[in-house]
Amino acid sequence: MKRKTARMIDTALTHLILIAVCFIFLFPCLWLILASFSKSGSIYSFKGFFPQEYSLDTFRNLFTDTEMYNYPQWFRNTLFIAVMSCLLGSFLVILTAYTMSRFQFSGRKMIMKTTLVLGMFPSFMGMIAVYIIMTQFGLINKMWGLILIYSANAPMGYLTQKGFFDTIPISIDEAARIDGATNLQVFYKINLPLSLPIIVYTALTSFVFPWSDFILPKLLLKEKDLYTVAVGLMNLGETEFSRFAAGSVFIAVPIVILYFCLMKFFVNGMTFGAVKG
Amino acid sequence: MKRGNRKNTVHDVLKRAGRNVKLSMCVMGLGQMLYGQIGKGLCYFAVLVMAVIYFVHRGFKDLAGLFTLGTQEADTWLGIEGDNSVVMLLMGILSAIAVLFLVYCYLSNIKDAYETQKLCERGGRPMGFREELKQFLDRKFYKTVLLLPILGVCVFNILPIVFMILIAFTNYGGSTVPPKLVDWVGIDNFVQVATLSQFAPTFIRILGWNLMWALISTAVNYFAGLGLALLLNKDCVKGKAFWRAFPMLAYAVPGFITLLGFKFMFSYGGPVNQIITGMGHRAVGFLDIDAKWMARIIGFTINAWISVPSIMLLATGILSNRDASQMESAKIDGASAFQQFRHITLPFVLFSTTPVLISQFIGNFNNFGIFFFLRGGLYIDGYFLASDTDLLINWLYNLSINNNYYNVGATISLVIFIITSLISLLIYTNSTSYREEDTFR
Amino acid sequence: MKKIGSMILAGILIVGMMSGCGGTGTEQSAPETVDGDAKEIGADAAELKGIYSGELERGVTIRVLENDTAISEGYFQELIDAFNEKYAEYGIVAVDANMDQYSNLADDGPYGYGPDVLYQANDVLMKYVEGKHIYPIPAQSMSCYDMIPQAAWDAYRADVDGTEYIMGVPVNIQSSMLFYRKDMLPDNWETEWDKNGNQIPDMAESWNDMYRYSKEIVDRGEGKFGYMRSLYDVYFSSGFLFSYGGYVFGDNNTDATDIGFAAGDAAVGANVILQQAELMNEDCIDDSVTVSAYSKLADGTYFATMTTPDVTSLFLRELTNVYEKEGLSAEEAEKKAEENLVVTQVPKLPASGDLTEENPELIPLKTMGGVNGYAISAYTKAPNACLAFVEFATDYEMVMKRHEYLGIVPARSDAAQAAGGISEIIYRNLDQGDIVIMPSIREIEQVWTPAQTFFQDLAKDAFRTTDKKYTSIDLIKEGLESVDQQIYDAIHTLAGGQ
Repeated sequence: MKRKTARMIDTALTHLILIAVCFIFLFPCLWLILASFSKSGSIYSFKGFFPQEYSLDTFRNLFTDTEMYNYPQWFRNTLFIAVMSCLLGSFLVILTAYTMSRFQFSGRKMIMKTTLVLGMFPSFMGMIAVYIIMTQFGLINKMWGLILIYSANAPMGYLTQKGFFDTIPISIDEAARIDGATNLQVFYKINLPLSLPIIVYTALTSFVFPWSDFILPKLLLKEKDLYTVAVGLMNLGETEFSRFAAGSVFIAVPIVILYFCLMKFFVNGMTFGAVKG
Repeated sequence: MKRGNRKNTVHDVLKRAGRNVKLSMCVMGLGQMLYGQIGKGLCYFAVLVMAVIYFVHRGFKDLAGLFTLGTQEADTWLGIEGDNSVVMLLMGILSAIAVLFLVYCYLSNIKDAYETQKLCERGGRPMGFREELKQFLDRKFYKTVLLLPILGVCVFNILPIVFMILIAFTNYGGSTVPPKLVDWVGIDNFVQVATLSQFAPTFIRILGWNLMWALISTAVNYFAGLGLALLLNKDCVKGKAFWRAFPMLAYAVPGFITLLGFKFMFSYGGPVNQIITGMGHRAVGFLDIDAKWMARIIGFTINAWISVPSIMLLATGILSNRDASQMESAKIDGASAFQQFRHITLPFVLFSTTPVLISQFIGNFNNFGIFFFLRGGLYIDGYFLASDTDLLINWLYNLSINNNYYNVGATISLVIFIITSLISLLIYTNSTSYREEDTFR
Repeated sequence: MKKIGSMILAGILIVGMMSGCGGTGTEQSAPETVDGDAKEIGADAAELKGIYSGELERGVTIRVLENDTAISEGYFQELIDAFNEKYAEYGIVAVDANMDQYSNLADDGPYGYGPDVLYQANDVLMKYVEGKHIYPIPAQSMSCYDMIPQAAWDAYRADVDGTEYIMGVPVNIQSSMLFYRKDMLPDNWETEWDKNGNQIPDMAESWNDMYRYSKEIVDRGEGKFGYMRSLYDVYFSSGFLFSYGGYVFGDNNTDATDIGFAAGDAAVGANVILQQAELMNEDCIDDSVTVSAYSKLADGTYFATMTTPDVTSLFLRELTNVYEKEGLSAEEAEKKAEENLVVTQVPKLPASGDLTEENPELIPLKTMGGVNGYAISAYTKAPNACLAFVEFATDYEMVMKRHEYLGIVPARSDAAQAAGGISEIIYRNLDQGDIVIMPSIREIEQVWTPAQTFFQDLAKDAFRTTDKKYTSIDLIKEGLESVDQQIYDAIHTLAGGQ
């Protein structure tokens, strides 16, 4: 009996905290969402946090009034860049992390230390160099140039994924190798299915970064037709607040969809946890 | 093993090299071909041919440019194309990398030929091309896999860094930007920074705050994210996907939009102040010139708001990989929830997320956006061209980009880089996740 | 002019130099000496023969960088259509460069990505001179030469290798104006607030009367304000310093070793700002007022503000909305808004710097201004066609069209006269030296942050309850001197050898 009450209190408390946390995360987003439905373009006509009048006009404008601010075009560009970088980037990160976790070879520890140290370098200092490299390769005003950079830089963040692979028992690999599997087979037949959570995490993060970055696209894509959403939003006029809000809200939609699609792979990654031991 | 081997044999190789090895020394791949390894020989030969073409075409010129940094200033009005020192510096580095690569290929070519020679002497048969290729999917799988990432990182990460490091030894900046010619100046920049009296106090102040910022915000984000993941992992929580969606919402909005939104929210005319004044109080300057600690605390909070969701996500993934049976047995042994957390969950999560902690630390240490967006455009008394919330990276930005002194910026970032990377290397090499990689295997 | 997050972009865009984005800057006092017909400026066409052969290139496309409003309001389309029609026989086609209006030619041009012709502010364009990223203009041989005042040409004058050149063609003069609501004037203003009986209310003529009226409004306790402005903004606040002897750089804004924010009685001017701040609320400390002024002037919270005339349409739109909500038809509301929003010359300052003084001796308020114009990229393949385009875009007809579409203030005297109203006032102020054109040297970029910090601190001081910093003119002067020092540090300390 006592135990049951304790559990009930625990449940209630847990949910209370959860509600509080959700409110903290929801409120600023809600503010942005409601602002995007505001009738007046100016944010200063709000009373307190929320607009006085609502309408769908901003969203309609966002997609139809494209002469100056071609949001649909920006959206397509961003989607293309983010999807391609996500695919290439995740592929490279996962492979790198797996290799660094599973193989013992000379120079391995050195690579680990080097990547760590490289990450400490203030990245914007290197932007000048990146810009010049791209001009020399003729990759300015090319979306592929951007994808190339995002994917090439992705393996730098392999440490997180390596940490995950380190927790998968190496005994499975050995068993498989005794059965005559090559390293490639061990990777994609055994380890890959076990690593779904981290793959999903990787895919999500390597999608989100190019999706919301504005520094590189601003630097490398000069033509207005090639703008990404982030760059386009930054270029909006100062009284276009509700358009800005609408654009910001809509930019979040694909990520939320992606989240719901991927979530089920995410937490169930190890359901067949028989391998532990 | 290989390295030690090679050192021993440098002398031997020269002395004992047979005809084929010597041919490989003269022309890459020739020896291999004579051993019947046509495919491999052609590969080495192709590398040589490509290298020759590259160096004749532009490699030598680029390499020379690395030293001169240009001799002819451009003048568009007179139609003189001239040299762009910065491009020359960059292409020079690229050609130096090409030289290193060629040397590496050359040595590997000799070593390969020598190994084959030894193999034949022992009565073996040179390996076929196909067999050799197969090795790259198996024993040498790592080489295959790491080739692309390393190439990418070299071009887009190491090359820019080397470039910036070299900039610290030039006079690039101020009015000396292309089309003006840039020159090597040795350690002048370091001397200048070291002798600048205003520099040291600001540096120490900002470094102190920066370390504090990185430590506290990493701790806050990490434990908040982990706590949230654990909370959502509890059995009594139903509809986990639903609850998790809220932090994800925050994650889905791009960081700079979040920061601009919060900046507006806390501005004098923003909604927070509207409510405060509406209740009859005076408006609060959350982020204004006097708001040192207030702004810092807001910075911590907003940074947590932005970073916690992704850490939660990651921790959730890792927790799902936790050994459930261990928990069960602990439960049966009567361990309390806290004990379970302290002795089973925490060590496990800490182990597998040490890299996350480190990358969080690095990310926070170099968190450019947060105070740039929230409280940019201020120089505060007692700081040399910086404000009291600026991190080193913001200060660097003020010095190098805002004020155009790339050389000084590069010099300072080199100094900062050395300090910070030493610290983080020390932490990392002492962490369990680095030293005992197989604890949980 | 300012964009959401323009500040942010200002920086990250690296490579080469940055513009302050949105354009802010100044020239100092005493342009009277510059005038005079005798002084011929710039290298003439003969000297520039090496660049402009005089023969139009055939079958070329020139990419023109225009500003966003010109494109969105349709003016730019009209301009290139007219140009393309006229030059169809040569096969010359002008097109939109399709780039960010603030993009930096020094970054794009050398690598072949820049536009051929640029329309930007003078401080931005003149940054390109040092690296010779733009071509000089044979100004004297252009038809607009005599129509544009020397003060405007001065903004584009540069000394390169010992020869003087003109680097751009002025089109539009930008400066601050007073915006106020006519229907918020006191009912009896014609008898009580018009001492000289010239049908212009006193508050629009003298800052002392503006101060008095603002106080009256604030004292009513309805949460309303008189004159409001974000005071941290250097573009608007520095004018008060200039009026009392301050300047940015010495030697007509060309000597970056001499920084003059504290020069003369500039501290008195800063004190005027402090007095104004006391009648505002905290919104004046950060950019809140700048962003909210459109709607707050419309809903009657503010009576007046100071800003540049290019945003007039935004004020009108907001005001029209308010009237529509009050029940007027769209047409009536628009008419009423146009009637009640007055855009006029900025008021005059008291010579003593005391806003509470009655019947003070008045001096003009010098405002910071800029001259937007066309320049030709040095990376163009068709300089002669570009020159033809600039010539075409700056002739009377096109400038008048530009004025009609965009409400800009023409730099051409004939157009300014024909346009009348604000255009005439601003044109006259420029001619009289009351508009201080922002410096055209690179070092101007290091001015904004220190100055902005000071003005923010000053505005904040009005709301500090304890530890007020600027309680006397001397303390203000000290503050300004430290601004000068900071700017000096930013420019010179790191340059080496100093």
